[in-house]
Order: sequence, then structure tokens, then C-alpha cells
Amino acid sequence: MATEARKKEILKALYDGVVDFDEDKVVELSNAALAEDVDAYEAIMDGLAAGMEHVGELYANQEYFVPEVLMCSDALYAGLDILKPHVSGKEANVKGQVVIGTVEGDVHDIGKNLVKMMFDVAGFEVHDLGRDVKLENFVEEQMKTDSEIVALSALMTTSMLAMPKVIEMIKARNPDALIMVGGAPISQEVADNYGADGYAPNAANAVQEAIQMVSRLREMGKA
Amino acid sequence: MAEQPQPRQETMTSGERMGAILMRQRPDRIPFMPFIFGYCAKNVGYPIARVYDDAEKSFWAQMWTAEMFGYDGGAMYGYASIGGWEFGGDIKMPESEWEQAPIVSRFPAQTPEEVDALEIPDVETAGAYPIAIAFAKIQQQFGMPIMVMPFGTLTPAGNIVDVDNLCRWMMKKPDVVHKLIRKCTDFGKKTVDYFVEHFPNYPMMAFTGEATAANQIISPKQFEEFVLPYQKELQDYILARGIRNIFCHICGEQNLNLPYWAQMEYGDPGILSFGHEVDLSTAIEYFGDKHAIAGNVEPQVIQNGTNQQVYELCKACIEKAKMAPNGYLLMAGCEVPVQAPPYNLYVMKKAVMEYGFYD
Repeated sequence: MATEARKKEILKALYDGVVDFDEDKVVELSNAALAEDVDAYEAIMDGLAAGMEHVGELYANQEYFVPEVLMCSDALYAGLDILKPHVSGKEANVKGQVVIGTVEGDVHDIGKNLVKMMFDVAGFEVHDLGRDVKLENFVEEQMKTDSEIVALSALMTTSMLAMPKVIEMIKARNPDALIMVGGAPISQEVADNYGADGYAPNAANAVQEAIQMVSRLREMGKA
Repeated sequence: MAEQPQPRQETMTSGERMGAILMRQRPDRIPFMPFIFGYCAKNVGYPIARVYDDAEKSFWAQMWTAEMFGYDGGAMYGYASIGGWEFGGDIKMPESEWEQAPIVSRFPAQTPEEVDALEIPDVETAGAYPIAIAFAKIQQQFGMPIMVMPFGTLTPAGNIVDVDNLCRWMMKKPDVVHKLIRKCTDFGKKTVDYFVEHFPNYPMMAFTGEATAANQIISPKQFEEFVLPYQKELQDYILARGIRNIFCHICGEQNLNLPYWAQMEYGDPGILSFGHEVDLSTAIEYFGDKHAIAGNVEPQVIQNGTNQQVYELCKACIEKAKMAPNGYLLMAGCEVPVQAPPYNLYVMKKAVMEYGFYD
């Protein structure tokens, strides 16, 4: 059993490992956390996820760019693979379910993958449909998984026009499903015009937005 | 209430106007080159794919649309997914109503070993080049300058291995990335050779640019390492082969890269176009003393905005950049979206006619 000081040391090292995109270090520390009985959920949330949150800030401040963030993401997933199977009990309950994908006509999925990763670390169950996703597939997946949220991504100005269509299709089948949109050409104004329930300018904000959306839904007793 | 300016009488043809820009002279008004491809096909009733897969239909769709809206600049052939198909992968032409341009459907290399094995393609048979060559012959037939399109060096690399791999290898295997970009640069130079040698002494411009180099993806430091030396080499080569002017599209958010773009040559003069993310005043500060500036009407607004919003945006661009020392062209910040309302394109011209004249 790790002492409080040792636990803090491990969590800090996991945090640093993600920020410094040191995959080997994260693997070593994740195994050490388990060996020394550090709670896996704590190791994920206060180590890996906290580190990734800082990476999000570094990206927003243009200190990190996509190549660095992808490396951080690799380090993060290396740790998650080791720690996640050991999360148990109440903490293992997912925060919510999200269907995510880049809309039909658009193959640009780097932004979508970053948002997916932030959902993963935040404890959501993510159903990733990939890129260039047929609109009806979003509808079917939402119905099949009963996900609270559908997250739509687009980089191209032409493919963003698929968003209001798919929002309409999903809402027609399940008016309680919450839709969030994002991507380079999307703004809050566009999201509002499209009838989306949520919008985030970047990956870190997407998760905050999703958590608030799910909370509102639960308060209304619809989830 | 401010008085609405009246449209003025043009005293130059489109060709004369563009010629004036390239001679560093003041035209009667700023040229209007919307930056438009797929829209033209749709506009004349063709599937969007025709602008990319059929040289003749592409040429005429562009010429007829230019005639209809009265904009300057004629027809050119090119696409941003260049590299994937040319190096042996597959491409998917736009089909659905949500698609605008070709996309790579199978990347020709996914591993460092496959990058090693890539051979510089034969221009005459590589991917879209047979179509580009047929297009150039039509331009020649009608006495129009040929636009040679080597485009970028990093963007084709991303189209060959997928941007995701490219980004990871920049961090983990930079030597593989250098090897790949070397091949893209050599292919770009080879395409320049082909056009210069097959259309000897014929007027030409080169179309270069970078999308994957945007700071939404890579850092200025990565630009300095992976883009600057290769793109500079390519552009120097274009000029050394006798092509006098380069049209360079600096796509997306590239503010942090501007000091590096400023280290490259673009000809005498070049035309540099910018996305809405780069302020036109900043662009003029960096490049205006040597080159003409083009841009940067936000495509999303052209597509989704009201005609009044588009008009105001164009007016603001014109007022900001009209007096650039080597000229200014009103242009979209990137390709005009195929679903843009025709009236929004019309009001772009209207803004040019009302605010774009020089006294």
C-alpha cells in the first residue's frame, strides 16, 4: 500500500508522463500504481485525465499542436489500457454514453478523435462511428445504444450542412437525444441555427459541455 | 444615412486587369477571383465531380460561371487532396450533396517501409495529371495562361500517409517524414518540368500553397523544419524554370508561420491568398511591399450568411486591402462552398463594383 506521499508522487508522475508524452513512463507508473494499491480510478482521474486536461490548455494556448497532442494521447491510452480494467464499483459507472463521428462527406477526423479521447478520460462510454459517417448511421447508433449525446464533427463548409439534417433525423426518432456540434467552421451561432443542444470550440470544452447537458437531462428525469 | 456608392464603368477587360496586377500597375478596379471549382459544375448542371474528372466540362463550367457572375480570372485545374492518387492510392470523387472535392479513399503508404518503397510517379500518367494536362491543352487552345499546380510539399505528404501518421512520425520518426516530403518536393519539381517542357515559351503561372501546414495542425517550429526548406526549394525551382508568377494559397490559420512564408520567393510579383484567419492588414505588412494580396472572405459566411453579411464582409475586406502597394484581389478565404446561394456570389461582385474602383 502506497503512502500518501508515494501516491501523490505516482499521480504527479502519471500527469507528467501524459504532458511529456512519455508513453514508457506512463506504462511503468500505471503498473506501479496497481502494484502499490493506488486506486485505479484516482490514478486515471487525478493522474492521466488531469494531465490531458493540461494538454488541452497547452493546445488552446498554441504551445502544443496536433503532433504533440497525438503523442500525449498515445501515452494516455497506454495508461488507460492498464488502469481501466481495475476500476470497480460505483466509480466504474459511466458518466454517460456518446455517439461520435465526422459527418458524411468529411474525412477529417483529427478533431473528432481528440474529442473522443477527452470523453474517454472523463468516463463516458464512447461509440465512435469514425469519419465520413452516413447520416442514418448516427440515428441508428443512438437508438441502438440509447446514448444521451450525439457529437457531430465537420471541417468542411459543405459537409457542415449535413448537421442540421442529421439533427432533424435524430430528434424525429428521439426528441430527448442531445446533439452537440463542433469543428473549424462551426460557431455558437451556427450551432444555434442548426438546432444543436450544445457546441464547444475545442475538445476540453466539449466534455464540460457534455457533462452539463447530461446533468440537465438527468434533472429533468429523462436520463 | 450614408449614400450608397454607384457601380462604376469598367475600362479594362478581365485579362487586362489581371495583366495590370502582374505588371505591378493599378487596374481600373480590384480584380474579383472568387476561388471556385465545384460550385461551377453545380452551377451549370453537372455533377460536382466533373470539375475534377473531365477536363473539357471542367473548363467550360468554370468559364460559363465566370461569364455569368462577371468575375475575373478564367479556369484552372487542381485539388487539395493531391498526392494520394498520384503516388498510387485511390481517390473518391465527390458524390453526395455533402461533398465538395475529391478525397483520398486509400492512402498509398501507411508504414515507413511503404514510404521507402514509394517511387516518384511519371507525371504523364500519375493520378489526376492526365486530366490536368488535357486541361492545359484546352487553356492553350483558347490562348489562356496555363496554371501549373504543384501545390505544396507537406499537404501531399499527408495525402500519401494520412495526416494522423504524418503528425505522429514528425515526433517519432522525423527521418521518415523528411524522406516522404523529399519525394513530394521532387514530384512537384517534376510536374513543373513537364509543363515547361511540353508547353515551351507559353505563358504560365504556378499554383502553390499549404493546408496541412496550418497552425491548427502543426507548430511554427515544425513548419520551419518540415515545410520551409522544401516549399522554398519548390518555389525557387518554379521561378528558375522561367515561370514568372506564383499564386500561393496560405490556407487556414497560419499566423505563426508568416515569418517563414516571408522567407520564400513568389515571383515578380506573386499573388498570395489568405484564409479569414489571417488579417489582411497583417498579410499586407508581411508581403504587400513585394506581392499582390488576395482573400479572405470567410467561406462559411458565403455559404450560410445573409447576402447583407457577405456584402459587408466584402466591403470591409476591400476597404482594408484595396490600397495594398502591389494590388489586392477580392477572393474567398478558401474554396467557395458548392452550396453557397448564388445571390451571395453576386453580392461579392456588387461590393467590388461599388467599392473596388481606383480613382
